[in-house]
Amino acid sequence: MKSIQFIVNGKERTVVCPPAKTLLDVLREDLGLTASKECCGKGECGSCSVLINKEVVCSCLVLAGQAQNQVITTCEGVGLSPNLDVIQESFIAEGATQCGYCTPGIIVSAKAFLDEVDTIPSAEEIKTALGGNLCRCTGYTKIIKAVQTAASKKISEPETAR
Amino acid sequence: MNTKWVGKRVQRIDGPEKVTGELKYMTDYHFDNMVWGKVLRSEYPHAKIKSIDIEAAKNLPGVICVLTHKDIPGFNGFGIVVPDQPVLCSDIVRCTGDAVALAAAETLEIAEQALTLIKVDYEPLEVVADAEYALTDSAPKLHPDGNLHSHVKIKNGNIEEAFEEADIIVENTFFSPRQMHAFIETEGGWGVMDEEGFLTIRCPGQYAYRDRMQIARSLAYNPERIRVISSPIGGAFGGKDEITVQIYLALLAMHTNGRPVKIHLSREESVIAGIKRHPFKVKMKTAAKKDGTLVANQVTAIGDTGAYASLGGAVIALAIEHSCGPYKIPNVDLEGFCVYTNNGIAGAFRGFGVNQVCMGIETHMDMIAEKLGMNPIELRKKNVYHQGEVSSVGHIVKSSVGTYKTLETAENCDLWKNREKYKSEVSEPWKKRGVSLATSFHGIGMGIGLPDYGAATIELLPDGKFLVGVGCEEIGGGNSTVYAQIAAEMLNCDISNIMIVQGDTQRTLDGGTVTASRSTYTGGRAVAAAAPKMTELLIQTAAEMLNLQASRIDIRPNHIAADGQIIPYKSIHKYLYDHHQSARVEGHFYLPKEKEEIKGSGGAPHHLYGYLTHVVMVEVDTLTGETDVLRVVSIPDAGKVMNPQGLEGQAEGGAVMGIGYTLFEDVLIENGYHKTRNFTDYIIPTIRETPLIETFPVEKPEQSGPFGAKGIGEVVMIPIIAAIMSAICDATGARIFHLPATPERVFNALKDLKKQKVQSAR
Repeated sequence: MKSIQFIVNGKERTVVCPPAKTLLDVLREDLGLTASKECCGKGECGSCSVLINKEVVCSCLVLAGQAQNQVITTCEGVGLSPNLDVIQESFIAEGATQCGYCTPGIIVSAKAFLDEVDTIPSAEEIKTALGGNLCRCTGYTKIIKAVQTAASKKISEPETAR
Repeated sequence: MNTKWVGKRVQRIDGPEKVTGELKYMTDYHFDNMVWGKVLRSEYPHAKIKSIDIEAAKNLPGVICVLTHKDIPGFNGFGIVVPDQPVLCSDIVRCTGDAVALAAAETLEIAEQALTLIKVDYEPLEVVADAEYALTDSAPKLHPDGNLHSHVKIKNGNIEEAFEEADIIVENTFFSPRQMHAFIETEGGWGVMDEEGFLTIRCPGQYAYRDRMQIARSLAYNPERIRVISSPIGGAFGGKDEITVQIYLALLAMHTNGRPVKIHLSREESVIAGIKRHPFKVKMKTAAKKDGTLVANQVTAIGDTGAYASLGGAVIALAIEHSCGPYKIPNVDLEGFCVYTNNGIAGAFRGFGVNQVCMGIETHMDMIAEKLGMNPIELRKKNVYHQGEVSSVGHIVKSSVGTYKTLETAENCDLWKNREKYKSEVSEPWKKRGVSLATSFHGIGMGIGLPDYGAATIELLPDGKFLVGVGCEEIGGGNSTVYAQIAAEMLNCDISNIMIVQGDTQRTLDGGTVTASRSTYTGGRAVAAAAPKMTELLIQTAAEMLNLQASRIDIRPNHIAADGQIIPYKSIHKYLYDHHQSARVEGHFYLPKEKEEIKGSGGAPHHLYGYLTHVVMVEVDTLTGETDVLRVVSIPDAGKVMNPQGLEGQAEGGAVMGIGYTLFEDVLIENGYHKTRNFTDYIIPTIRETPLIETFPVEKPEQSGPFGAKGIGEVVMIPIIAAIMSAICDATGARIFHLPATPERVFNALKDLKKQKVQSAR
C-alpha cells in the first residue's frame, strides 16, 4: 500500500492504495467519483477520460502512483448541477447525450479541446479532438453541434461575464 | 392540434445528471461491505463436463463462496422463449460463453484467482462451426431435438408460374456479419439479500418483470420476494433483453450473508458471453415484368443462433415477415431456419432480422431498376403497398403506411436531386463517389400470440408534482422525456412538475419490454390513458374540498381554479392523504393485433409498421477499397413525431450503427473460439466516420398511437445498409454481397470487375 497525494477537481486528496491500482479505480472506488467509466480497460474508448494537468488521458491506463502530485480534473470537476459548464449546457441543449455512459468522458475531452481554442471549431477539428471517444447511441452528430454551440457561447459570453 | 409539449424540441429530462456524470448507473455503486462476483466460463466451445472440483477455490483465503449447478435451487436454465441455456452448466458446454461456476470474494483479484483454482475436467467434442453443416446428418446434435431450433415458411400464389412468365429474374446469395451491440456499459450490477430474505437485484435490463420471473424460476423463489431494478442503462440495443448476469447475482447474494455482491463484466468477457446479431445467409430470387412490376420473390434464410435459442426463433420469423420489403409481391415462397451451432450466442439486436433481409430485397430492387433502365425511386413507388392494400405476406395493411411519402421526400431532397454534381466533387482523382437509396420497414410491438400491453401510473406527490411510473426502461432513446411530455401535455402543467420512474418491479407496473420499437407507442399510450384519470381525481377532489360541482372546477397550468379561488396541487394531495384516499391512478393499454396469423409464419403479421427511406453518398478509394460514407438523408415515417430532437437522435445513431454494420463490424469466431476480443479488434464507428446526416420525418399520423405516434428505434439502421451497398456499386460498378464491405472485399470486387472487363474486351 502506498499513500498518494494529488489534487482532484481543485481539492487536495490523499489515498492509500496499491500503487499499481489504476487511477480510474482510485477515482471510482476510493473517491466515489463515478462519472469516469470503465468500458474497454484498454484505452480504446475514452469513457474514462480525465485531465491530468490539462491534458486528456485515459485514466484506465494511468497507475495511481503516476498521479502523485498531479492536478486531475474529472467530469464532476468540469461542472455539477446546478452550476453547469457551458459545454454541459450545450450538450443538453443540442441533445448530445442519450444513454449517457460515454458522455462524461466526451465532456472532459471537449473541455480540454475548447480550453485551447478561441474560435468556433470546424466539424473536422472537433472530429480530430474527440476521435478517441466512442459513443454507440448518438451517431456523434449532435456532439459536434454541441461543441460548436459551446464554443460560440464561450466567445459571446466570456467566463468572467457569466 | 395545438400542443405545448408534445411534438416540441423538449430537452431531455435526464440531461443534467448525464452531462455532469452525477447519474449513478447500477455498475457505479460501490459499498464498503461489498464482495465481488466472477463467472467461470467454459474453456471449450463444445465439451462434456466430466467433473468440477471447487475445493481448492473454496479454501482460498478471502473467498466467500464458490457455486456450481448443484447450488441452483430451482430450474437450471434461462431464455426468453425456450429456456435452453443453463445458468451453470452441469454436463455439457456448448459455447465458450457458457458459465460453469461462480465465485464471490473480498476483492476482484481474489475472485479471479479463485476461478483459476476451479478444476473442470472436460472431454472436448466436435465443434459445430457452421449453420449449414449443423443441419446435415453428420453434425453432432447440440440439443436433444437436433440443431434446427425453428423453421418458418410463408407461401402465397404460384412462384413457379410467376418465374416462368417473368421478364427479368435476379438471384443472389447474401452474407451478413455477427454484429456486436457494443453498448458502452458492459453487463453488470448488484445483488443483495436482506435479513428477511428479500432479494434486490439492480441490473440493467430491458424488461424488469421478465428478468424477475427468470430469476425466480432458477431460485425457486417467490417472485414477490424479489425486486428487480433495471433502469437506467448505459446502452442496450437488444443486447440486455435476455438475462445477462441477474441470475448469477441472485445466486451469489443467497450465499454472502447479506453483503451486496457486484459483477461487472470486462469487455473481453462481454464479447465472449454476450449475445450478438445473427449472421445470416440469405438466398433470394426476385422476378419482375418489363414495366417494373414485381411478380415473385423466393427467399431462403439461415440464421446462426449459436449455442442457445434466446430470441432466435422470433428473429428468423421477423426476418421472413419482412423479407419482401414494403412491397406487394403476389407470389412468394419464403423460408427461414434458425440453427444451433457452437458459435457463441445470438439474440435480439436493433432491427431483429430485418437488417439481414433488407440488404437482399433492396439490392435486388436496384439491380432490377438497372436492368430495366428505370429510376430506382419509380420502381419502388410502383411496387409499394399503401394503407388498405395487401402486403407480400398476404395481409391487408390496416395501419398507416408512409413509404410512398418517404420516397417522394427522397426524390426531392438536395442530395438526390443534385447527385450528379455531388458525385463529381471527388476529394482525390482515384476516389469515386456514388449516391443510392433504399427503403425498409419494421414491425412495431410483438407479433401475434405474445402478450403486448402497456401500463403506467401517475401519482400526485406531497409537493404537488406528479410521479409518472412506466415499466419500460430508459435505455438511452429518451422515452422518459416522451412520457414526461405526454403527462405534462395532458395534465396541463410544466414539464418540471413531472418526475419519472422506470424499470422497477416495486415502483412500476408490468408494461412489457423496451424492444420491438414499442416503448414510445405502448408506454406513451399507457401514460395517455392514466392522465385523464388523474385529471378526474384532481377535479373531483377539488370539488369535494370546495363543495362545488365538478363542472365549475378548472384545471389551469399547475393548479386548480374555481370560483375565483386557487388550489395548489399540494393542498389536493394533503386533502387526499388526510382522507385516506389514494393519490395514484393507473392507465392500461393493449397494443392492437391482427386477428389472423399467417400460417407457418411464427407470429406474422404485425398490425403496425414504421417505415424509412435512406439516401446516402459514399466515396470509395479505388486503390485501397476503403469506403467513406459522406452524407446520409434519413426519412422516417414514425407517425407523429413526439420530440424532433429525440427522433433525430435515433436517426443519427441508427445511421452510424448501420454504417458500422455495413463497412467494418463483425465478431470473428473460428471453430467456436472468438478471435475478436475488445475494441482493439472490433471497430465501431468513431466521430471521424460521422457523415453529414439530415433527418426529414414525413409524419403520417397513426390513429391508434399516443398523439399519432408509432415507433422508430430499429428501422433507423436498416435501409442504410442496402443504400451503402448500392452506393458502392454506383461509385465503382462493383456489387458487394458479403458484409461487412471491408476494404479487402471492395478491393477484390474491383479487381474481379477489372478482370471481367478485360475478358469481355477480348
